[in-house]
Amino acid sequence: MATATSVATLDAGKTAEQLLAERTQRLQDALQLKQPDRIPIQLGFGYMLAEMGGITRQELHENAEKEQELLEKAALEFQPDSAMSVYNNPASSLAIGGDRMTRFPGHGLPPNGSFQFVEGEYMKPEDYDAFLADPGDWAIRKYWPRVFPELDGLALLPPLGMAAFGHYNLYNLGVLKAPPVVKSLQFLARAAEAQAAADARAINSVKRMAALGFAPPTFMGALVEAPFDFMSDTLRGMRGIMLDIHRRPEKLLAAMDKCLAFQLEHAINWCNATGIKVTFIPLHRGSDGFMSLPQFEKFYWPTLKAMQLALVDAGIMPFVFYEGVWDQRLKYLAELPPGKTAGLFQFSDIYKVKEVLGEVMCIAGGMRNSLLQAGTADEVRAETIKLCREVGRGGGFIMTTGIGEMEGCRPELVKVWVDTTKEYGVY
Amino acid sequence: MSAELVHAIADMQEEEALALTRQLLDGGADPIAILEDCRAAMEIVGQRFEKNEYFIPELILAGEMLKAISAEVKPRLKHSVDGKGGARVLLGTVKGDIHDIGKDIVHFMLDVNGFQVKDLGVDVPVEKFVEEIKAYKPDVVALSGFLTLAYTSMKETVEAITAAGLRPQVKIMIGGGTMDQQICAYAGADAFGKDAMAAVTLAKAWTGAN
Repeated sequence: MATATSVATLDAGKTAEQLLAERTQRLQDALQLKQPDRIPIQLGFGYMLAEMGGITRQELHENAEKEQELLEKAALEFQPDSAMSVYNNPASSLAIGGDRMTRFPGHGLPPNGSFQFVEGEYMKPEDYDAFLADPGDWAIRKYWPRVFPELDGLALLPPLGMAAFGHYNLYNLGVLKAPPVVKSLQFLARAAEAQAAADARAINSVKRMAALGFAPPTFMGALVEAPFDFMSDTLRGMRGIMLDIHRRPEKLLAAMDKCLAFQLEHAINWCNATGIKVTFIPLHRGSDGFMSLPQFEKFYWPTLKAMQLALVDAGIMPFVFYEGVWDQRLKYLAELPPGKTAGLFQFSDIYKVKEVLGEVMCIAGGMRNSLLQAGTADEVRAETIKLCREVGRGGGFIMTTGIGEMEGCRPELVKVWVDTTKEYGVY
Repeated sequence: MSAELVHAIADMQEEEALALTRQLLDGGADPIAILEDCRAAMEIVGQRFEKNEYFIPELILAGEMLKAISAEVKPRLKHSVDGKGGARVLLGTVKGDIHDIGKDIVHFMLDVNGFQVKDLGVDVPVEKFVEEIKAYKPDVVALSGFLTLAYTSMKETVEAITAAGLRPQVKIMIGGGTMDQQICAYAGADAFGKDAMAAVTLAKAWTGAN
């Protein structure tokens, strides 16, 4: 490697079918920890599409045809191996009549705001016992009415375990005609329709990108979380979960075991039903700085590791977003089976990641978003060459930005980055 | 001073700390002395955080203990205790960004290191920083941000401070998960800090505090 190649002639004269086959193979090889023909590049354009297209972020989220048009245009301009738009979608959130844990552009934010989660203590300490007794029942009758205001009618339902009463439970069904329950079920049905339509648009987008020769994004798959993050992100919130570590460690551990079991069942069913054998696991509170290593060993890593091992056993590749910095925790990741998982690294020292995990997992990431926004062409080129030579060495590397979103990145610098990767990324 | 209380707080013995507080107060201890114990304990917590022995769970629990003890002590105080006289820091998460974890840690660490901190919260409009610099007259302005969108917000905030003619009066630091030296230069700030200790070190160096 490292002999410069002419970018202009690299893919000249190839049909979309050829390009799709080559790009899919290139990404697959990298994921399998093999050496592809060259380093694959995946661009998660995100809000950069709105900037390039001169539309608001709200329109990018809500006008699927425009979004697809801009995605295709950007992909054709930069010619990566795979490309995607924004990950989060407000369709079902809006249809369900309000969602206290998210804010989308134009909904609680200005039209050009940036999608964000609103973390809260949606599950109180006193909810642990009900959660542990039956997480599904607690979620539907207690939690949904709290986080989705229009689902308040579900609080009227009898305990869901009553469903097991068979014929006798039919005598409880009258409650489903109570006006608040009817209203909530209608909002649920609307959300289901909106989500099914969004799913169809997402599938259509993948097909249209394939027709142009672009491979599907590598982290497209089932979505689950590390059990600790599951308890933290949408239930206890940061403050709550950090106090649980000291105040009720046994309950937290028991709850995480529950989350592990039902999330695994979901991911395996999802992958078997769709045939897409990938599960995306974005991580939040496990990175350096949130908790100590002994706490990490007790509360974070065991269930995350068990989750990945079980998925691998089921023939599924966990594609894990190691958000934040994992420099002090790389040795734990080295316990994972070689070539069976992939990691996108946000701010970890990517050269150290290669050193410790190069033989363990496919590494995605490398390019700093800050450099693509505030750097110079020379800086971008130099950094890209270094990444190709050091992190690309021997394969098992997918070039992407560390953050799975490219808002603010300057198109001319993105071009330098992509072209330099093609020039120096040939094996 | 009660060494027992200081250790209970510093060692994260929540129930013991509260029981001791009540015991001391019932025994006629000076409420001010108890607050002084809290301050001493928080200093130890801060030092352990600096040494990577304590992390966020301990900072949050320490904050909770402090709140609970203050609630016990306050009704018995004859007059309010005066604030510290340290240098002033104006802190906030920039426009469009609602992340507060990093900001809150910086607040805690500056506080235990003797700075007066005014925290403007999250999603702070550019103009708000300008107004508060005029009113509060801070020595240091600390901008926090996590989203990549904050790159631009930081730049706009510094530009507004400059346009208002206030730039020479303050030192500006930036920090947060996605920040780096590149963005510091881009935003026109004086320094970038990679963690809360860096914020303390910078603030001390700029204000001549020990």
